[in-house]
Amino acid sequence: MTEENKVVDLLAVFSDLEPSADAVEQLRALGVRDECMNVISGVPVTEAMLGRPAQWTNVPRIAMGGAILGFAAGAFLAFGSPYQYPFPIQVNTHSFTPGPPSVVVLFELTMLGMLLSTFLGVFLDSFFPNYRPMKYVPEISDGKIAILVECSHVDEKKVTDALKKLGAESIAHVEAQHL
Amino acid sequence: MADHKHDAGHAHSEEHFREKHLMLDPLPRGVMNDMVMESMTGKPTWKFWTVVIVLSAIVAYGLVYTWAKMIAEGLGIAGVNRPSYWGIFLVNTVFWIGISHAGTFISAILRVFKAEFRRPFTRAAELMTTFGLVQAGFSVFMHMGRVWLSYWLFPYPNQRMLWPNLHSPLTWDLLAITTYLLSSTMYLFLPLIPDVAMARDRSTGWRKSLYKVLALGFRGTEGEWAHLRNAMNIFAFAIIPVMFSVHTIVSWDFAAATRPGWNSTIFGPYFIVGALHSGMGAAVVVLAVIRSNMKHMDYFIRGEHFDAIGKLMLIISMAWAYFFFNDYMVQWYGGDKWTHQLLHFHEAGPLGWMWFGMLFCNIVVPWAILWNAKWRATPWLVSTVGLIINVGMWFERYIIVPISLTINRMPFTWRMYNPGAEIPLGIGTLALFILLYVLASKVIPLIPVWEVQEGQMAHELKKFGRETVVSVSELE
Amino acid sequence: MIRPEEIKMSAEETGKWGMVINQDICTGCQACVAACAMENNVTFVGEEDSGYGRSMHWIRIERFWEGEYPEVKMTPNQPMLCQQCGSAPCEPVCPAFATVHSTAESLNLQVYNRCVGTRYCANNCPYQVRSFNWRDYERPEPLPNQFNPDVTVRRRGVMEKCTFCIQRIHKAQDKAKSEGREVADGEFTTACAQACPANAIVFGRVDNPQSLVSQLAHKGHGVKHLEELGTLPNVTYFKGG
Repeated sequence: MTEENKVVDLLAVFSDLEPSADAVEQLRALGVRDECMNVISGVPVTEAMLGRPAQWTNVPRIAMGGAILGFAAGAFLAFGSPYQYPFPIQVNTHSFTPGPPSVVVLFELTMLGMLLSTFLGVFLDSFFPNYRPMKYVPEISDGKIAILVECSHVDEKKVTDALKKLGAESIAHVEAQHL
Repeated sequence: MADHKHDAGHAHSEEHFREKHLMLDPLPRGVMNDMVMESMTGKPTWKFWTVVIVLSAIVAYGLVYTWAKMIAEGLGIAGVNRPSYWGIFLVNTVFWIGISHAGTFISAILRVFKAEFRRPFTRAAELMTTFGLVQAGFSVFMHMGRVWLSYWLFPYPNQRMLWPNLHSPLTWDLLAITTYLLSSTMYLFLPLIPDVAMARDRSTGWRKSLYKVLALGFRGTEGEWAHLRNAMNIFAFAIIPVMFSVHTIVSWDFAAATRPGWNSTIFGPYFIVGALHSGMGAAVVVLAVIRSNMKHMDYFIRGEHFDAIGKLMLIISMAWAYFFFNDYMVQWYGGDKWTHQLLHFHEAGPLGWMWFGMLFCNIVVPWAILWNAKWRATPWLVSTVGLIINVGMWFERYIIVPISLTINRMPFTWRMYNPGAEIPLGIGTLALFILLYVLASKVIPLIPVWEVQEGQMAHELKKFGRETVVSVSELE
Repeated sequence: MIRPEEIKMSAEETGKWGMVINQDICTGCQACVAACAMENNVTFVGEEDSGYGRSMHWIRIERFWEGEYPEVKMTPNQPMLCQQCGSAPCEPVCPAFATVHSTAESLNLQVYNRCVGTRYCANNCPYQVRSFNWRDYERPEPLPNQFNPDVTVRRRGVMEKCTFCIQRIHKAQDKAKSEGREVADGEFTTACAQACPANAIVFGRVDNPQSLVSQLAHKGHGVKHLEELGTLPNVTYFKGG
């Protein structure tokens, strides 16, 4: 890596929404691409509020997949398991695969599959658990909005000035650290 | 603030709103964080240790020792007999599952309908759900004759090539309660991640290590929030039918049986409303206890919250009365001689006082007190009503389980039920519930601070002519 | 793997083994209760537990009376045992398949070693004839010496009930099979019927119109208890004949 295209990470901390939204706009005007920015906040700030591109999330799809798997497991229990016995097991005058109880089993296992995979989806999509060092400052959980900018070391001064002008509380180089 | 004086003449000044509504009384997030941290990390007082030691002793005797003894000697040390094959064990199972319904109601239904007053206490209620379900699990497992073989009830491939009987309401129960316990624990954990991350950022020592593990490396990036928001949305909608199914299936344990007094088609909704009735009552008690015993909680939990829950309690009490009367009316009109015998036994039998006590606690007390807005906003009064409702709902389950079992179609077997080991075991589950809650309150941030801050950002006062009103923006 | 058409639904079957109990000649002597306990290794629960509704007899004599003392009118004694329902409410509610229907014998089976003791079956039995092992009851000497080797000894936490002396049925069937014939009517009987001094209990095949039990059962004034629940019981009672 040569000295010219060395990339630096800047973390600018803002207190309010308005200046952070302006900052995102300003950065884009300075030629920083959206992929090179990330917003870290202590409250959920939607992408629309800051004029950022919508985040792609796989959670609903993973949930749907889990629901299908859960339904399949339920279908096996309800319609398959009664035929797995080495000899027929008869209770009352019920048929082997009774209707209404099968509905109950299908419902419960579908929901279980869906909710388990929704939970799992958050882990997969967010790379949880992740105990590697990361770029972060603890003030963020005080409700601050931080913009993590990845820019070339040439642009550093330009970016810092612009962010400072917009009212950033602090702008600093951040090193990944253990949280 | 200049025109504050002019406003004073009107009913609602700005000051009045600030005092009354948490959402209109914002504090900087850092201050709120510190308040929540301090409520958790404050040095435990002698009072705290006394409570923990006493509860642990009760759990050790009531739950551990008595249960071990019952496993070793058989259910004979309990009071169950023929015909009351199910006793207080099942009463407590239904009771605890009922209590667990309030957490989901508050954090899912109120979230779906964007009821803003839920914000500060969703976590406290969800925690009640999880710990309540643990007690329900204990109660149902200890009533089993051979609990060491209870794994036979789970569906897993085995050498015997046997699967559980899916015709049995108890199997559905197992599936439903497992689903509910897992999903409500996950639903408790998801909104907790940002708060644990907050706690991680401002703690040291063993707490730091604990929160670091629990926070999973959460920073609050756009992506993390988006995934979390999506997941919480799915959970909020999907957990509602799960919750309904759980108590409906519990009611089917009774309704599916061919017994007078049990075989009723209205048991499903009747049980759900009963569950919410006792659950809301328990939630309000928990909130009052938290508020008076933990630092800074009077900022987060205010009269307005008790007022809101009080309204819900009143509505649910009316719904309960409706379902109770519906069930009673149809049974009474049906003309089955065994059902008549049973209804007579409920009201005029040796435990008739319990039947009237149930009506008094579940209907008379809430109706007499909760109609008044000022009384509703009084924590000690509402929580006393909540406690009384819980006594009434426990009576209701006692009437449904052992008292109704006393009367059956074989008069030769009619016999009263006298609880034995059920009493220490039941008290043990109650003590374990409180103990878990007390310990958790030292480790888990009971207030979802980020949700409170989000709410405070969304609320503002707006002027319509001379009147100042609260206005909320939909941020999500 | 079993194909559904291989299984005959129990409702379509005619009950094979059945019982007729004549209440008019029952003296209430409890000989059947004692014989049943001996035959089936039923344990002795003792006075205290028995008085608290934990007696474990598979057959019991129910005594009823009308009026207040001294104007008491005794109604006939009613021996009550598992009715071996054709459509038994106890079966579907067991989560572990510990009580199932035998399509071969049209009996209601109890699988002791599969029972986990939820006691749901007992709650759902309209006849209240199931007994639960509340404890490991002690058998005083010399009772442990007279166990019936053909019957399992049950431990605490397990449900049990009358089996129509299934061990005797199987013994007779095996013997008949080895001799290449059908089981003859009256060749064997249950312990309770064998012990009854008044011959108030008659056991046999109800699907054989020639057998004594089916001739008695079709005499006309027999009743089946709680038939209105649709349980299809296999025991017929006579009273006031």
